[in-house]
Amino acid sequence: MSVSLGRGIFDAFFASIKSLFKRRYTLRYPEQKLDLPDGYTFDAKTQVGSPGVKGRHILYLDKCTGCSLCAIACEGIADCIDMVKVDGTWPKDKKAIMPQIDYGRCVFCGFCVDACPFDCLFMTPEYELASTDKRKLVYTPFQLGNLPEKKGLVEFIPDEKSGAHHA
Amino acid sequence: MEVVERQGNYLTMSIGPQHPGSGHMRLIVTVDGDIIVKVKPDPGYVHRGAEKMCEVRTYIQNIPHLERPVIIDSSGILFAYILAAEELIGVQPPPRAQYIRIIMAELNRIISHMYWLSIYGIFMGHSTMFMWPMGDRELFIDLAASIGGTRVTFSYFIPGGVRNDIPPGFKEKALKTFDYFVKRLKEYEKIYFNNPLVLKRTQGVGVLKREDAISLGVTGPNLRASGVASDTRKDEPYSMYDGIDFDIPTYREGDSYSRAWVRLEEMRESMKIMRQVLDKMEAGPVKQPMRGQIKGKVGEAFARTEAARGTMFFHIVSDGGKFPYRVKISVPSFRNLIAMSHLLEGNRLADMPVIYWGLDYWPVEADR
Repeated sequence: MSVSLGRGIFDAFFASIKSLFKRRYTLRYPEQKLDLPDGYTFDAKTQVGSPGVKGRHILYLDKCTGCSLCAIACEGIADCIDMVKVDGTWPKDKKAIMPQIDYGRCVFCGFCVDACPFDCLFMTPEYELASTDKRKLVYTPFQLGNLPEKKGLVEFIPDEKSGAHHA
Repeated sequence: MEVVERQGNYLTMSIGPQHPGSGHMRLIVTVDGDIIVKVKPDPGYVHRGAEKMCEVRTYIQNIPHLERPVIIDSSGILFAYILAAEELIGVQPPPRAQYIRIIMAELNRIISHMYWLSIYGIFMGHSTMFMWPMGDRELFIDLAASIGGTRVTFSYFIPGGVRNDIPPGFKEKALKTFDYFVKRLKEYEKIYFNNPLVLKRTQGVGVLKREDAISLGVTGPNLRASGVASDTRKDEPYSMYDGIDFDIPTYREGDSYSRAWVRLEEMRESMKIMRQVLDKMEAGPVKQPMRGQIKGKVGEAFARTEAARGTMFFHIVSDGGKFPYRVKISVPSFRNLIAMSHLLEGNRLADMPVIYWGLDYWPVEADR
């Protein structure tokens, strides 16, 4: 635990100077984006989820029955899901109500996905939801129905020499 | 820093609650010149009534809420809640789920200690020690996020197991990260822990004697730095900690320097635990499926776990309904706060950041 003054200062400088020759640590964010795995999904039959990123939701409009179990699951957590009326006829959804999610309130816990018994509400790796207008954070069922485009290309690959290798 | 009043030759001022370093908490400090005469901690600025909120939410809905007091160590606080809730609900998690829980808890311990280390560095004006742990912490956040899905608040533990299995290829990625990080910790020692300037700032500052630490009820790494080898993982093994071989890093000095070393050594021990768990894990279910409304049976249950800051204790009383009747959380930060005024008094004002952050006090956790 104790070292001599000269040795200690030399070691400290040497360790930091060495890092000058290492690869860059940080990501140039708006130009480079992380290649994220798939979103979090949940199998209602086995009651087990799949490991994945909890980002924006995806709603499969053709499978939704408007049972509002997702909204009930969210009630005590973030209270961000509202069941709203949607245009058109839906064979499985006679009442034509579907979840609308307010991302100003969502905490991305994914318990609404666990609550869905028809495998129609999952999560996607989409995380860039910031907006200059609060109203734009409310995603209608049709907006939730779109799959986000894949943006990320960069991956963190740790090895013995450097913490972050971008490939 | 805001000057409040002046009495005689003493100056009373309040540090916080919006101090950029102290977190959202106020210390009412009386100084005589440069020497601190009296310290009165004033917690409660970020009190959100987490215990009361639990009484109107179901056992599942409580999970994202209970992470909020200490998001930096979200699995640490959830672990105790889940163990107590499982006892009331009457489910037993499968072995694989219990091993995954240990991985998450230890990953979170490293994430929390790295955050602590970087703030400890910047409090002493050591900017490199702020950048390096923050950068390396990202690797562990990546590992935890590949399991839990989000970066800090995973909501990953639920009664009956965990929400999903670990992703394929996790073991290789984790072992690579550990190999890198073990080497990296040696560099941390060179640049910071054995740095003579840091030694001058921390050695012999804020000494908490063994007897004082026990009588004040300090827990966690702060207690271990004072020479008491107490760790809930060893003393009352919960989950699968029983069959895992690890050491409790203990130092006798009890000063700010040894409190830093305890946490550094704990990160090594955490990686040792995770290596063993990754080898021990066998394929199997990760969750005992539960359908319908989850209800707790009439009675009460408690659980004690070792979170990053010390012993986390949950006491849940149930009246048989879908909501818990009462949830009491005993958090390590609040217990370590008691030692703060004891340590600060008699020291110089310039030593305050070192002592304050050396205790790893997390105001939101203490206020709940």
